[in-house]
Amino acid sequence: MPRKASLHMASQTTAVTRRTVLSAAFGLGVAAAAGCGGPAPSSSTDTGEASGAIRLLTPIFEGAEGQKTLEGLLATFKQKYPKVTVEVDYTTYAKLNEKLTTSIAGGRPYDVMLMGVGWIPPFAAKGVLADLGENADALTSRFNKRVVDPGVYQGKVYALPIMLDTRFGIYRKDIFAEAGLSAAPKNFDELRDMGRKLTKREGGKLVRAGVDILSNDLRQTFLPLMWANGGELFTPDGKVAFNSPASVAALQLMTDIIVTDKTEDFGYTQPGAATGIPLVQGRAAMMVGHNNVWLEIEKNAPDLVKDSKIGFFPIANTRAAMFQGGTLGTVAAKSQHPAAAKALVQFLADSDAALAACRQRGNVPALKALESSEYVKANPSVQFAMGNLDSAFSEGGVPAWLEIRGDFKAAIESALLGKKSPQQALDELAAKATQVMARS
Amino acid sequence: MTVTSLPAKAPAAGAPAGPTRPRRRRRLGYERRRAAWLMLTPALIHLTWWIGIPVLATFVLAFTHYDVLAGTITWAGLDNFTEIFADETWNTSILHTVVYTFFTVPVAMALAVVIAVLLNAKMRARAWYRAAFFLPHITATVAIALVWMWMFEPNIGLFNAVLAMFGVNGPAWLSDPAFAMAAVIVVSVWKGVGLKMLIYLAALQSIPPETYEAADLDGASGPRRFWSITLPLLKPATFFVFVVSMIDAFQVFDQVYVLTPDGGPANATTVMTFEIYRTAFSEFRISTACAQSLVLFAFLLVLTVISRRLTGKDDDAR
Repeated sequence: MPRKASLHMASQTTAVTRRTVLSAAFGLGVAAAAGCGGPAPSSSTDTGEASGAIRLLTPIFEGAEGQKTLEGLLATFKQKYPKVTVEVDYTTYAKLNEKLTTSIAGGRPYDVMLMGVGWIPPFAAKGVLADLGENADALTSRFNKRVVDPGVYQGKVYALPIMLDTRFGIYRKDIFAEAGLSAAPKNFDELRDMGRKLTKREGGKLVRAGVDILSNDLRQTFLPLMWANGGELFTPDGKVAFNSPASVAALQLMTDIIVTDKTEDFGYTQPGAATGIPLVQGRAAMMVGHNNVWLEIEKNAPDLVKDSKIGFFPIANTRAAMFQGGTLGTVAAKSQHPAAAKALVQFLADSDAALAACRQRGNVPALKALESSEYVKANPSVQFAMGNLDSAFSEGGVPAWLEIRGDFKAAIESALLGKKSPQQALDELAAKATQVMARS
Repeated sequence: MTVTSLPAKAPAAGAPAGPTRPRRRRRLGYERRRAAWLMLTPALIHLTWWIGIPVLATFVLAFTHYDVLAGTITWAGLDNFTEIFADETWNTSILHTVVYTFFTVPVAMALAVVIAVLLNAKMRARAWYRAAFFLPHITATVAIALVWMWMFEPNIGLFNAVLAMFGVNGPAWLSDPAFAMAAVIVVSVWKGVGLKMLIYLAALQSIPPETYEAADLDGASGPRRFWSITLPLLKPATFFVFVVSMIDAFQVFDQVYVLTPDGGPANATTVMTFEIYRTAFSEFRISTACAQSLVLFAFLLVLTVISRRLTGKDDDAR
């Protein structure tokens, strides 16, 4: 072997070895945590004078605009609590678990962690979160009950709601009118019929999807359909229920849309597609979408707003259903400055901060007082969500949820691609989930 | 190994005899050893802290049930290994890694040889071409992935636009399970061919020109020279490139992660490293991820041993 190559080989072999072992490097932190860890205290947060340097982990306030918004809010917080310093770590929901894992394994969890609805039971059950010492019933006088419940675990309040996000049906009134349709679908049969009628192909190529079920996260599209058909994720005693006949029928509907009716082609779009949301561009007639689609409509197709061409509908079959998630503020049980951390959570859940966060993300305020705000009045999508909270359902509810939820996508995709029947896909998923729950 | 004891060396004639010289030599040896250890200490501490302990921790944790959230740890024996090999996703990820490696390594190597031979010939702007082919290797994957994502985009992407010119409806490259892995392989070949080309180029330049001159005198044609001289003489470099590329392919992560988040449609691009990442950081199953890491480590160890054997033999021959 040439000398140069030989030398290179040596360095490559070393590098490979190093990379191999570094791939396991997180074990160091893990080992450290194992040595000094243990169940976190679950005592109530100290409510003494707030002071100290605290760390905040936030999956909201993304991008330069979000950062600017939060910095403005924290300046106000600093005026109110001059002895508290906040260090912010910005992330996204996609990377949230990675940040949480490494911080907890490293023995230094963030003092304040903003999390989603499904996160609270798993973290509360393991003693990661501090009991905020709030009264759940009292909170419902300020917040909508739908958003208080996800922060409650075994009767204790572990999180205060900051904002909600919802998924429901969105449709183009102008495209409906062209097809002679005047109202949104009220059940699954109408959804399929209208979808077929509204689908447009040119030379075999799909140019307009009748129903777009792929722009939204697949799990968060399936779940409202499942709830609308009377299905549930889990039984009240915590057993897997998402492979019930009602749930299988919901996945069958999604499969029919793609495979049988061909009202959308698999791969036509995907969540966060660089090409934008098909409905906004007229490449879809209706969709299951996030309430913040409105922001994109306002930005990229203001005429649709001006001419009132966008309509909303709850997903319905045996009952109306809307997916409801949200962002909640929590305090780490191991926080060195629990009073300061709790003060920050209360501040972020309060009207000014919550409104700023909602405005930035196009989300739904959790505070009842904000229902009459100018922001809500100017956003029909948010108004629709707030007006339909009675039919809202949330995912999660069991401590093993974070292990289970990631497997939904592949199961749903296997049905949509015809690799497995909806029954088979959900049965296999249910078996895996049952195993995970038993282990947990 | 056989150790032969040598008789004590007699002092050379005329050399000053006495105790001073050996003591000075011993002292010098001791001081040099001490200096060596002092200089090595920072590196040893670094290696122990950042490599030794994590490796040890990974080995230990793979045999435990470690709950990262609760901070509890219990002995698990082989439970984690039983669990991962019963997991369809993990087994599929092994298959995908092998498929990825099977298609990435030989294709990229073949391309690299051809490009290296072409760029070894005298031509104008040869240095620019070499730099251009090497550029993908040193470019950040995230940045180039965004460009590739645009090219793969089913509605406005370059590939489907070209296919449309021929009346073909292009697929959804990154969303269709039938094409997603192929798309990732294309990007990986494009990214990896530069480094392989560089190694082949170095090897080509070490082939004595007299060999080709002799072949010319014998009237050998260009293809004959390539098959009978160039390729056989590139054998050591080929072994090296092959093994390093195999190891690299088994560790692929960034292309997969950026191009097809969530492991691709129906887990079509879920490879071993991605599944380890998902198990550890999305599902909080640290011990299971450690067991998966050990399996990957075993694969890499086998490949490294093969590499040592092959290159070692070659070195001996030379």
